[in-house]
Amino acid sequence: MARYASLYGLFLLQRFKVLLEYRLNFLIGASSTVFVQAAGIATLWVVMRQVPSLNGWSFDELLLVYGLLTASRSIEHMFADNLWTIGRQYIRSGGFDRFLVRPIDPLFHLLADRFNHDGIGNFVIGTLLVVSAWASLGIPLLPLYVLYAVLAVLSGGAIFIALNLLTATTAFWIVESVPVTRAVHEMHEFAKYPLSMYHKGIQAALTWLIPYGFASFYPASYLLGRDVGWLVWAGPAVALVLLLVAYRFWLFGLRHYSGTGS
Amino acid sequence: MSQNQPAIEVSHLRKVFHIPQRDPGLGGAVKALFRPRYAEKVAVDDISFSVPPGEIVGYIGVNGAGKSTTIKMLTGILAPTAGLVRVLGRDPHKERVANARQIGVVFGQRTQLWWDLALVESLNLIARIYEVEPKRYKELLEQFSYTLELGELLAKPVRQMSLGQKMRAELAATLIHEPRVVYLDEPTIGLDVVVKEKIRAFIKEQNRAKGTTVVLTTHDLGDIEELCSRVIIIDAGRVIYDGPLATIRERFGKYRGITFETARPLEHPLTLPPGAEVVGQEERRLELRFDRTRASASQVAAAVMGQLEVLDFSLSEPDLTSIVKQIYGGALSEARPV
Ligand SMILES: Nc1ncnc2c1ncn2[C@@H]1O[C@H](COP(=O)(O)OP(=O)(O)OP(=O)(O)O)[C@@H](O)[C@H]1O
Ligand SMILES: [Mg+2]
Repeated sequence: MARYASLYGLFLLQRFKVLLEYRLNFLIGASSTVFVQAAGIATLWVVMRQVPSLNGWSFDELLLVYGLLTASRSIEHMFADNLWTIGRQYIRSGGFDRFLVRPIDPLFHLLADRFNHDGIGNFVIGTLLVVSAWASLGIPLLPLYVLYAVLAVLSGGAIFIALNLLTATTAFWIVESVPVTRAVHEMHEFAKYPLSMYHKGIQAALTWLIPYGFASFYPASYLLGRDVGWLVWAGPAVALVLLLVAYRFWLFGLRHYSGTGS
Repeated sequence: MSQNQPAIEVSHLRKVFHIPQRDPGLGGAVKALFRPRYAEKVAVDDISFSVPPGEIVGYIGVNGAGKSTTIKMLTGILAPTAGLVRVLGRDPHKERVANARQIGVVFGQRTQLWWDLALVESLNLIARIYEVEPKRYKELLEQFSYTLELGELLAKPVRQMSLGQKMRAELAATLIHEPRVVYLDEPTIGLDVVVKEKIRAFIKEQNRAKGTTVVLTTHDLGDIEELCSRVIIIDAGRVIYDGPLATIRERFGKYRGITFETARPLEHPLTLPPGAEVVGQEERRLELRFDRTRASASQVAAAVMGQLEVLDFSLSEPDLTSIVKQIYGGALSEARPV
């Protein structure tokens, strides 16, 4: 564990050296997300000027939902972006074999191989949104709340990563896994708004099937004191179970790969 | 590990790929989903050999013979369909990580370095992945910089390197953790003679100094002649020759070639002295070979000239390339040492 942590640090260091070499690229990448997010928030703002509350949620409350989701997603974006391109960049070219002849875990190697700085912008925005919504909504700054929010973002990030790991593993069979990953990942768009405004079926899907709800709606409800039941505490457990399932599936895919090759 | 345990042991190794078959179009895709059909491809049929520690063995064969597939099983990347592999006493697939510490691999067509990182940064990372002791790493880096002439390359990212520079960098990366067994899958592909020489010298040196066991796959028989005392030739996933290089030479070396340029194309079969035969013929060129223990060059030349108008002719010593061509061509019963 300590060995992996220090290895990750080294990977990260090398990555930043490269990024500094392409300074412009780095700045564009890290800030381009800012513009994308700005557009998203502007849309929300325009909508909210017409209707002061959406399904009983104020603009600031919606920003909290949106911010929590954005921060969660940025964790996947920063630390697990290689899952998107595993088929295209590693399996098709045979580059994945390199991971298998090294004395470290291949999944760790894949993830550590490319920290994606584009996610930093998202992380900053997500955090800023949460902080500003927090302030304007007058949520008390209790240690419990802060801890809860941090844990919620981490669990949310883990849910994003686990779902991408599940879908990316299909690359061991079909190589080009991006369409599969995208199909599931895009569902997070729903979670940018309170689940309570959707049909029951969609609510259930985003809670039990593709549980992005735990990255936004449930923790936001807790912080806002809205009663949605015990589910506000389920995020970390859901994330953990999903990670375990995804990792098992990954190992299964890896076994398939060692039977078929690239 | 005991002294006389082989470094690599392979017995009745087999790898069958199942390639999904699919009819074109959406219908085909749907059908493939519900009732997948597979075509079997036997890449490695039945291969056995063992390599003692410190040996450099050439592993050759035509395209598609199964060389890379064998190496992937030896490195633990692929699981065998059947048969047994032991590398330094371990099952490379089941004990992948423990095996990985002891081996190094070059796949000539790919790089294991990071495209954008300066070579020295890539090497630092690799050394850390393999937990090379820092002091030892420094020594090796210095050594390799000297023997592989990495000097000005160390600061260069791989994307800016020429093919030859890349391969030198690649070898340094593969050997920086001092693996006991090294697999080189076409390490000289596309390189000019000067770089080839450097690379061969480096491999030889590592083998001599550290007793590194090397399995070398190549289509360049110069590599084999210079590095390997033993050759394994495979064809269609089976071993067709396994023995010393010298034996191949002896067996096939008794043949000499003689090529004639004739005034007109050959119209009727030639009568030749015993031990001589036609091996190639096109327009006005005629290639023969003869067993020098049974016929002499002048006998053969005289026989041909008596039947055809000859403009020119030349004699050739058999080189390894033509020998191997003969073996690939099916002369295997003769090649197998007894
Ligand atoms: N992952 C795979 N799936 C299906 N078939 C494969 C796979 N890998 C290799 N093959 C097939 O197995 C056979 C042996 O391939 P292999 O790459 O081992 O040959 P090789 O001896 O290394 O050839 P070359 O000299 O061209 O590198 C070939 O017919 C190849 O098409
Ligand atoms: Mg090959």
